[in-house]
Amino acid sequence: MPDAGQATVPAPSAPGITRAWRVRLATPEFVLLALLVGELVWFSLAGTNFLTLDNGLEMLRASTEVGLLALALTPVILTGGIDLSCGALLGLSAVVFGAIWRDAGQSIPVAAAAALGVGLLGGAINAWMVAGFGRPALIVTLGTASLFRGLAEGLTGGAVNYSGFPAAFLHLGQGRIIGVPTQAWVLVAAAVTIAILVHAATIGRALRAIGYAPDGARFAGIPVGRRLALVYLLSGGAAGVAGLVYAARLGQARADAGTGFELSAITAVVLGGTSIFGGRGTVWGTILGLVALGVLANGLRLADQPAELAGVLTGVLLVVAIGVGARRGRA
Amino acid sequence: MTRRTFAAAVGLGLLTLGASSACRGGSSGGAADGALTVAMMPKNKGNPYFVSCRQGAEEAAQQLGVKLLWDGPTETDPAKQNDVVEAWITRGVQAIAVSVENREAMSTVLRKARGKGIKVVTWDADADPDARDAFVNQATPAGIADVLLGHAARLAGPAGGEIGIITGSLTAANQNSWIAEMRKLLPAKYPNLTIVDIRPSDDDRKKAFDETQTLLRVHPKVKVVMAIASPAVPGAAEAVKQSGRKDVGVTGLGLPNASKPYLLDGVLDSAVLWNTKDLGYLTVQVATALAKGRTIAGTTPFPAGRLGQLEVKGDNVILGTPFTFTKANVAGFDF
Repeated sequence: MPDAGQATVPAPSAPGITRAWRVRLATPEFVLLALLVGELVWFSLAGTNFLTLDNGLEMLRASTEVGLLALALTPVILTGGIDLSCGALLGLSAVVFGAIWRDAGQSIPVAAAAALGVGLLGGAINAWMVAGFGRPALIVTLGTASLFRGLAEGLTGGAVNYSGFPAAFLHLGQGRIIGVPTQAWVLVAAAVTIAILVHAATIGRALRAIGYAPDGARFAGIPVGRRLALVYLLSGGAAGVAGLVYAARLGQARADAGTGFELSAITAVVLGGTSIFGGRGTVWGTILGLVALGVLANGLRLADQPAELAGVLTGVLLVVAIGVGARRGRA
Repeated sequence: MTRRTFAAAVGLGLLTLGASSACRGGSSGGAADGALTVAMMPKNKGNPYFVSCRQGAEEAAQQLGVKLLWDGPTETDPAKQNDVVEAWITRGVQAIAVSVENREAMSTVLRKARGKGIKVVTWDADADPDARDAFVNQATPAGIADVLLGHAARLAGPAGGEIGIITGSLTAANQNSWIAEMRKLLPAKYPNLTIVDIRPSDDDRKKAFDETQTLLRVHPKVKVVMAIASPAVPGAAEAVKQSGRKDVGVTGLGLPNASKPYLLDGVLDSAVLWNTKDLGYLTVQVATALAKGRTIAGTTPFPAGRLGQLEVKGDNVILGTPFTFTKANVAGFDF
């Protein structure tokens, strides 16, 4: 097996490679890209029907909810913050959507607006505590995660399962537009928006500055509070959208929707080379991280491997990526 | 420095992927290439109930020469079952058998599988009828009622007598369907038995204990206590044990591990359930037959290997007579 894999990796010790190239090759994004290519080669040999367009599109469908969370988390982590509540907020949005639609008898658009509203409101609470009061994001969002999940469980008594949504809504999660899963378009739109925010707008530079040194950023005239509020609000909104996509994909909304999704999203972001301490990171890296995780889970199943192995290998990927980051930081 | 790190990182990645290839094929089977692949999913891989089902499934797969894939959630995650089935559809297995956790969510993806020509079986817990080709039904209410009353009649002796029932909650659908079947059977088959009281345990062992004590006080002539919810079995047995009434027999429906101490103790005569190994065995038999192009719905009986000819009702394959755990056989079950 290694022979097939080695062919895909540029030999790093080749004498012709200049020092500049070596530095570039050792960025987390390139390491991840190499690992991803390794995954692709391996699974196309070991898996059945792995390297097919259809499988790629289905993989995209399965990754959308975590993808939305991970994309919105990238600017949050860039500022040196974290949002542990996004998975719980996804669950709360999905449940509120179901309750407004079925129990309150409202139309789907009204229910969807309410779910998005809940997402933004949840994000606003985080923003208020982190940006307004300067509380540590880890503790704030740990608390709100418990709050949001608790509300979702309370609202449903832990047992109610909203289902039977109309076909037009289910299309968002199960249908296709021009051959591509409907929700993938949402994911692409989110990726473009956040990439512009982080890389093309002045806001992106402000976020990095906050991540490197919040006080320095403040003295440099950056409206730190407003920028921080924006990223947490954005994360909440993304959780709202992801809640809708989740409900449409599975055709049900229950209080345990999105359990653990926040950890998968953080894994994708960190795997993609974004520093957990803030300041450094790219949206491109997050997308790569997301794809690497999605391919791993999907490929293992198609290679008839038990799902638990995905957890082990995700851990290995993460340790390797972080290890490389640490060596590079010292070099 | 960076160069070495990079090489190490890539090397480690490849090593990991290589290692995963080494464990490949450990899952099951020895089936030759081109053999049918049956993919089977429990509600929860860690639950000993399903671990026991898997043993029977592996046995059937070996006998039939099919490749068995066994995978499912390891924790509560409603999306996990769907993700795994989606992957099986892409992989192109010939049959999928699922114990359905979330009926609504799972039915959609099972319909998709059927749309791609994959045969779909549900077992243990059903999906929507149009989402699968057949349901492997572990026990019918009539079958359970018959076996429970058989044990009660044996315990009451030839003279018959009074039965007191400790149920789940008074509104529990399963338990009420068994009780309704028992009421139908009593006049015809067991005319000298009467149900004198039905008390709730609300699936709580302590409550079953209290209610059984009350039952024995209110109806001192009761000869048989029948506890028909799993947590109620040890509760009822403990109450009868503490009362010192050697003339009262206890039977019921429950999981073997919860019943084990009282079965071995002799207080509890028998606990009825279905044989989980047989359930797994039959599921693979049905899935394989469907994958080979056999029609199941409406064609009774179904030849199920070592289980013999089994009844098919509509599109339900009935596992058959419920299984009784006794002092003699309970040691062989762990769930």
